[in-house]
Amino acid sequence: MTDASTTAQTTTPTAVRPPSDTASGTRRAGPGDRRPTAVRPHGRRVRARVGSVLKHAGLIAFGFVMLYPLLWMLASSFKPNALIFREPGLIPTDIDLSNYTDGWNALLHPFSHYLINSALVVLGSLLGNLLSCSLAAYAFARLEFRGKRLWFAVMLMSIMLPIHVVIVPQYVLFSQLEWINTFLPLIVPKLLATDAFFIFLMVQFFRGIPRELDEAATLDGCNHLRIYLQIMLPLSMPALATTAIFTFIWTWNDFFSQLIFLTRPEMYTVPIALRTFVDSTGESSWGSLFAMSIVSLIPVFIAFLFGQKYLVKGIATTGIK
Amino acid sequence: MSVIQELSRGKQAGAVRKKGDGRWALLFLAPWFVGLALITAGPMGASLYLSFTDYDLLSAPEWVGLENYTRMFDDPRFLQSLGVTFTYVFVSVPLQLAAALGLALLLDKGMRGLALYRSVYYLPSLLGGSVAIAILWRQIFGADGLVNQVLALFGIQGQGWVSHPDYALGTLMALNVWTFGAPMVIFLAGLRQIPQMYYEAAAIDGASRWRQFRSITVPLLTPIIFFNLVLQLIEAFQSFTRAFVVSGGNGGPSDSTLLYTLYLYLKGFGSLDMGYASAMAWFLLLIIGGMTVVNFLASKYWVFYDD
Amino acid sequence: MSTTGNPRPTRRGKRLAGSAAGIAAVALTLAACGGGDSGIGGGGDDAPAAAEECPCEIRFSWWGSDSRHESTQQIIEAFEAENPDITVVPDFTDWDGYWDKLATSVAAGDTPDVITQEERYISDYSTKNVLADLGTLDIDTSKVDDGVLAGGQIEGTQYGIPTGINAYALVADPELFADAGVDVPDDTTWTWEDYVTTANAVAKGAGDGVWGTQDYGFNEAGLNVMARQRGETLFTADGELGVSEETVADFFQVSLDLVEGGGQPDAARTVEYQAAGPEGGLLGTNKGAMGVWWTNQLGALSDSSGHELELLRLPGESEGERTGMYYKPAMFYSVSADTEYPESSAKFVDFLLNSEEAAKIMLTDRGLPANTDVREAILGDLSPTDQKVADFMADIEDEIVDNPAVPPHGSAELADIMERINTEVLFERITPEEAATQLIDEINAAIAN
Repeated sequence: MTDASTTAQTTTPTAVRPPSDTASGTRRAGPGDRRPTAVRPHGRRVRARVGSVLKHAGLIAFGFVMLYPLLWMLASSFKPNALIFREPGLIPTDIDLSNYTDGWNALLHPFSHYLINSALVVLGSLLGNLLSCSLAAYAFARLEFRGKRLWFAVMLMSIMLPIHVVIVPQYVLFSQLEWINTFLPLIVPKLLATDAFFIFLMVQFFRGIPRELDEAATLDGCNHLRIYLQIMLPLSMPALATTAIFTFIWTWNDFFSQLIFLTRPEMYTVPIALRTFVDSTGESSWGSLFAMSIVSLIPVFIAFLFGQKYLVKGIATTGIK
Repeated sequence: MSVIQELSRGKQAGAVRKKGDGRWALLFLAPWFVGLALITAGPMGASLYLSFTDYDLLSAPEWVGLENYTRMFDDPRFLQSLGVTFTYVFVSVPLQLAAALGLALLLDKGMRGLALYRSVYYLPSLLGGSVAIAILWRQIFGADGLVNQVLALFGIQGQGWVSHPDYALGTLMALNVWTFGAPMVIFLAGLRQIPQMYYEAAAIDGASRWRQFRSITVPLLTPIIFFNLVLQLIEAFQSFTRAFVVSGGNGGPSDSTLLYTLYLYLKGFGSLDMGYASAMAWFLLLIIGGMTVVNFLASKYWVFYDD
Repeated sequence: MSTTGNPRPTRRGKRLAGSAAGIAAVALTLAACGGGDSGIGGGGDDAPAAAEECPCEIRFSWWGSDSRHESTQQIIEAFEAENPDITVVPDFTDWDGYWDKLATSVAAGDTPDVITQEERYISDYSTKNVLADLGTLDIDTSKVDDGVLAGGQIEGTQYGIPTGINAYALVADPELFADAGVDVPDDTTWTWEDYVTTANAVAKGAGDGVWGTQDYGFNEAGLNVMARQRGETLFTADGELGVSEETVADFFQVSLDLVEGGGQPDAARTVEYQAAGPEGGLLGTNKGAMGVWWTNQLGALSDSSGHELELLRLPGESEGERTGMYYKPAMFYSVSADTEYPESSAKFVDFLLNSEEAAKIMLTDRGLPANTDVREAILGDLSPTDQKVADFMADIEDEIVDNPAVPPHGSAELADIMERINTEVLFERITPEEAATQLIDEINAAIAN
């Protein structure tokens, strides 16, 4: 017997058996399985109701703790700069929108300029990662080829080195290509699947898709490209959504490489723009920083709010057996 | 015989059928190979070379052999950073993953307002490395912060946690756990990847929710748990931004939050000793690589692949 | 099938290095790693060979926050209006990002033409031949005091021209003094002991949650002033450490006396207030009556405190052998040694330094202007706070004996060392005497290479 099955048995000694073979349609009780106990509809419902209220109360309370720092930031963004630290309470004494108007116009370009730049970088990275990483992941998850383990190890290795020691050689490389101060150093690597994190992520998800599906497709005469396009991708919506959400957020927040590769103010992105509100050697505009941080969180929050519904469009809901 | 055994028979069959997809692999891996050759390998190789040199960024590197590597073990701050990092990784990663898995299970399905809860819990992760984090964290763990205000209600006089060498690392770990939203999202996606038919069948067989959880959810989620574990370990070892922002850039107070990568950065860019920083990076790669190999070896005993 | 196998390190290494493309990329990368040096001769002898081709484009890099970016942009526009054939490309970011970016671009041979420098880094950059000898360029420095100008000289070569000057001074909040029923001390006569007793008295008089002063031990400037009052100095002109263990120990002892007497908060709070910058520190939040800051930070402090703050001389100026206070160059203007356009760069630096038009936009943003003529010219335009700074700087001018030499190569680490050791002292993990030994050892190690 293979490792996996013995493993699964040891971790789940009393495995409940789902239908092993839907074609046969036979269902037998597993070893040690018990008959369902009688259902008690009324008592259960009341208890469920109470339980649900308690659960929501707990989740809301926990949510408040989670959000406290963000609420504080939101509150502070409405306070005049001078009062942020002198009156650090959660409820501002009076609402002052000037941090938003000042912050929006404080830099060389209106803040929307930096939002658009960030959006461009994000869009490019998003497309790049989704395409290139899923391709590579398919190879690692479903294809047999020589040196697969080795290449997989190389792939993982490439995310184990801190960026600080590769950024200088990278800068040299990109400046030879005359890519400095363009979005290319930020986007092209994503098109070439250098974010190995996502390859690994998708490999794990692809391996969760039952092989019977692509075997059936092979029998129908599908080649790997079609299996990838017509089976793997549609069935991996959660993985793709995860990749998209993460790429979005990481790129949106990535400070260091954007700082190094973008040298002209008109190319600056949100994280760089935000830093320029703070000067540890002189005077900082904390109010503007908080206000623009809130502004820049809104697109990410909306992206997540809409993106997260694709997280749940997995194999579980697509109706495939 | 269990379904799992039958599934793994399928796996064997598949393995036999697919021998040698070399050309297809080349096609699918083409972008990655190009990226590896052109963008990843060069700078990595360069940093490996630089780790054997004395390199200050401002003038040409000079070959010094293994000196950077031997110097590390006489450097008390290096050893301090190793200790801080191991504590950080081995305390905060399990806590963060447990929180992420717990909340993901709770927020999986069958509840009103799911989308909102998920988004709210995810929000803290969005702040990333914002400079605002340092201030927000002081509002919680500072001498007059939220924690001490709550403690005061119980008559306990707290102290400045964020700036005390004995507790600062704890607040940094709390910050890491606070952003459990990222692994939570991956768990959520993983939960949705489990074929519904298994649950239906189990329900017909009369298995309780708990049994379903233990016998279907957990084994089928192991690849994702494994993924999160590997990735969070790799990430935690390289944690930089939050420690940088919260400590004001120097791993203070008194080196108590001097994470490995933060020290590496201070050496490379602060002291302009990029040769040493590169050596530190490659030593870190050895640590993380070793840890990952152990992880993969161990995974054979607990991770279940449905192929 | 499984990808979970253990990788074989030897083969993996061989394969990676063996890949032809990998080698090509490494070679390409390394060839340029020393790029910062290419094109530079022996150091100072890089005068332009031929007349410059203009119209041309020069890059000017600086750090700072939004207000500085805005005013600098206006200055650039004014310069371009006067010199239509020169375009100045701005390159700015925050303080931390600035140095990462500068080092990286120098490493790649992509150095900005006009570089803003600071005393902690200028030695590093000049000894590595990144900066041009400004003496060979056409920049008029006749209106800058020699003593101030010397702040940008390393071994006799002018690598940077001070943009303006600051002084390290004691900032006091008279309102909190009044609340506590304590008189603001006479700063021409007060001693370090007076400082401790005053701070303790304010804390006692003002009640809970208000302290006398914020700890000064995180910044080496305070140590330097104390050392100079005793006839020592932090760094000598030949780049050696010039302070005695006794002075360092006394310096840290002052902090401990203040904690013990209640004049300053406990260690954890002190570290927290230190991290909070001027806005979130004791003065900025009305929780402390005194603090030691650079004069250019008076604006930030006054704004956030909402009180009328005063500048005082540091204690001990009349107590020791001599006075210790000094003018610190706020920043330096430097020119890249391998700029294609040394003449245009010099012209721009000259404009920044000597143009009244530029000064009227910049005001005291880069310190009180180093050029004494333009300093006079802008006095009328200054805000009341800046006016106060200008008056204070004029008051101490005659008392200043000399300005310290540029700190040596490696001194960029000084700030971290100070902060770490001071924290250890405050938490009483080491005694001031141990701290002194440790500090001197660590600084010596940092400047050794």
